[in-house]
Amino acid sequence: MRRTLTAAASVLAACTVLVAQAPGPVDTPAPGFDISGYWTSPLYEDALERGAGPELGDYGGFPINEAARLFALSYDASRVTLRHHQCDGYVAPYSVRSIGNARAWEERDPHTQQLIAIHWYNQTFEGHRTIWMDGRPDPPAWAPHTWMGFSTGRFVGRALEVQTTHLKQGWLRRNGLPESDQATMVEFFVRHADHLTHTSVISDPVYLAEPEIRSTDFSRQPIDHQTWLFACDDGEQILDRAADLVPHYAFGENPFVNEMRDRYKIPAAAYLGGPETSSPDLLLRLASLTEADGVAKTRPAAGPRATSRAVDPQPRDGDVHVWPLRGSLFLLAGDSGNIVVQAGDEGALLVDSGAGTLAEKTLARIRQLSDKPVQYILNTGFQPEHTGGNVVLRASGGDPSVRGSFFALQFADAGVGATIVAHQNVQNRMVAGKRPAAGVPSDTYLQERRRTFHNGDAIEMFWQPRAVTDGDSIVHFRRADVIVTGDIFMTTQYPPIDVANGGSVQGEINALNEILGRTVYQHQEEGGTIVVPGHGYVSDEHEVVEYRDMVVIVRDRVQAMIRKGATLDQIKAARPTADYDTRYGSTSGAWTTDRFVEAVYASLPRR
Amino acid sequence: MRKTAGRSLALAVLAALSLETNAVAQRGGPPGPPPTPRAAAPFDIIGQWVSVVSEDWRYRMTVPPKGDYGGVPLNPNGRRTADAWDPARDETAGEQCRAYGAAGLMRLPTRVRISWTDDQSLKIESDAGTQTRTISFGAPRAPGGDWQGVSVATWDRSAPVVGGGFFPGGGGRGGSLKVVTTRMKSGYLRRNGVPYSADTVVTEYFDRFDVPGGDSLLVVSTEVVDPTYLAQPYWTSSHFKKQTDTSGWNPTPCAVR
Repeated sequence: MRRTLTAAASVLAACTVLVAQAPGPVDTPAPGFDISGYWTSPLYEDALERGAGPELGDYGGFPINEAARLFALSYDASRVTLRHHQCDGYVAPYSVRSIGNARAWEERDPHTQQLIAIHWYNQTFEGHRTIWMDGRPDPPAWAPHTWMGFSTGRFVGRALEVQTTHLKQGWLRRNGLPESDQATMVEFFVRHADHLTHTSVISDPVYLAEPEIRSTDFSRQPIDHQTWLFACDDGEQILDRAADLVPHYAFGENPFVNEMRDRYKIPAAAYLGGPETSSPDLLLRLASLTEADGVAKTRPAAGPRATSRAVDPQPRDGDVHVWPLRGSLFLLAGDSGNIVVQAGDEGALLVDSGAGTLAEKTLARIRQLSDKPVQYILNTGFQPEHTGGNVVLRASGGDPSVRGSFFALQFADAGVGATIVAHQNVQNRMVAGKRPAAGVPSDTYLQERRRTFHNGDAIEMFWQPRAVTDGDSIVHFRRADVIVTGDIFMTTQYPPIDVANGGSVQGEINALNEILGRTVYQHQEEGGTIVVPGHGYVSDEHEVVEYRDMVVIVRDRVQAMIRKGATLDQIKAARPTADYDTRYGSTSGAWTTDRFVEAVYASLPRR
Repeated sequence: MRKTAGRSLALAVLAALSLETNAVAQRGGPPGPPPTPRAAAPFDIIGQWVSVVSEDWRYRMTVPPKGDYGGVPLNPNGRRTADAWDPARDETAGEQCRAYGAAGLMRLPTRVRISWTDDQSLKIESDAGTQTRTISFGAPRAPGGDWQGVSVATWDRSAPVVGGGFFPGGGGRGGSLKVVTTRMKSGYLRRNGVPYSADTVVTEYFDRFDVPGGDSLLVVSTEVVDPTYLAQPYWTSSHFKKQTDTSGWNPTPCAVR
């Protein structure tokens, strides 16, 4: 009886709470709704695109900018035969439009039953989204990007509103229309009985002139579809193809650009897209669009160069931030060039030392990660953003492996300070540049690789001859499977190919392919080997392959113009980087688009 | 003893629920008349909205070729009828507005002006084809039989809410405008003669979303059920952006080509 009364009291208390929470004032939190279950999107809208695939050159209704259009027109579908593109996943904004089944479920705290996350799984490319509902903040700008991005949600009225950042580069449409890694998305899920309407608003400063709006319908399925997997493994599709071949079309030479015009009698200027093509006002202009209007959209317009609209991934707050990579490896972001720390019993090992302006704070962070002194500093190149902290960080540590050895007989300071390791040309360049002797590498190698086993990991440095300079190394932590690239790869700008210091565009391409030769993705061309760029956010092979494609394509354009006798000024005026400038371009600062084109030009043969 | 305890618990629960119901009912004093549909609107739908044609672009921005009805779940009868489309015949018959009926209007590139006619009815005007839809909460005011048929509206707040069941989680804010349209004159889902019949029932849900720091969107999810020409319900969702002014309003007559 006592138990019964207690239970009744609990029920009464619960009802009191319900009364207190009954809907009333406008600021009552939205209670949310349930989208759990199996869903299928009928392909009534954009059926061709979502089924067999879109028409080539059909970008009508997409509010794209010039860069996106030129990227898409340059895209050759045979690019997916390249090993590193064969299993490319779909990014979240496109994934929701894909064919196949979807499943949603909730994740709740087992003790409080608070909603932690809503999961949305797409069969196509096995895209698994986690929509965090617990109010957690976005990751920092230097965190990795993924196909699905980082999503947070909240209930607004009768809609689930979701905001997504940290997306990879992918497709807006499967005919080459790009979505950049800078895109963000706001979505609204609203449910009407067994029908779900999904509305997405995609903003992309790199490739969209206005936000792209789409709405997609789903029907609830009463039973499990039983088909959830999307098996993909890359393989050798075309044998003996050169490693530096990336299928693409020169500007103005896409052979399929007029298919829509010829088949449907639609002006190219309309179906080649742009913000004006999604408005009813297009109907007023459709008849007056000319052939010349269409041709003009297939080539870079004359005028000033565009500049990068990407988010700066550097903190620039005067502090150094730690981001865990894998195992005992950490990224230190903040002091210009990226620094990687390996912590362990044998002493900390660093890859690069930053610009040195935040060296003391860098040291403080290292000491939080490791109570052992810095034993090694591996330099990926001689650039000041990667070696500027050498003096301070070297002085903070020591190398017990040479104390008491025969080195001590030759050098009074053997083992004093950390040992700085790099390719010999790094030492040469730093000495020639009169850099402080205490920061110059003392342990150098001349060819191929330098290797060591430290803190339980096999660490290899591979020389990349004539990449951005003549002394570049990539560093591969084999057990952790982390590759640190130095300035060979960065997510912030065009590669700073320094021809005067031995760099070349072909060496840069070879180096990027060398990185790709060592990476292994975990799932659908994502994850697996972690790639830390010289500058920018933590990446994997997908970011490297997109970067490699860009360098190859620009090289090919410049080389083709050289062969036609174009001068450097003519080449620059032709804007061979027009589809990449909104992502990597610059007209000011140390490394401009012009300097990149000049470097490509200077390092290519005149034939 | 166990049975007695169980019965006591059940009675306690019923008493508690009764208390809760009474508490809700009595809050704010004696019940007044229910608010009018206009006063009960869960969101502001009024204004000029411009369609954003980012899907089915070719089908919507141009008149597709005859027989090009990809994505529409036509049955054999529907395909036969679509294949027999003759725009000249429509013009001769004075039926240029067949693609501007309620089942297809919101899918056209158009601007729409939505306003309250009175507390019980909404009006949707389109500049494409200069059409007017009258949407009534409660009893319809027109017999139908024209392009726009008879539209009956409700504020739909029936989305499955988390916490429903024995201890309901509350109704919450928000909702959709649900519009059911019948008694239309037969017309076209697309301008190239993809047909719907006079037996068609169109159910639409209008939802407004305010993008943080951006546009206000009106998304119209439309289900077309037509036993004559469709093999299964045909769903589309069309979206509009709110205009802050009345610019761009360009009334044009219905056109076949």
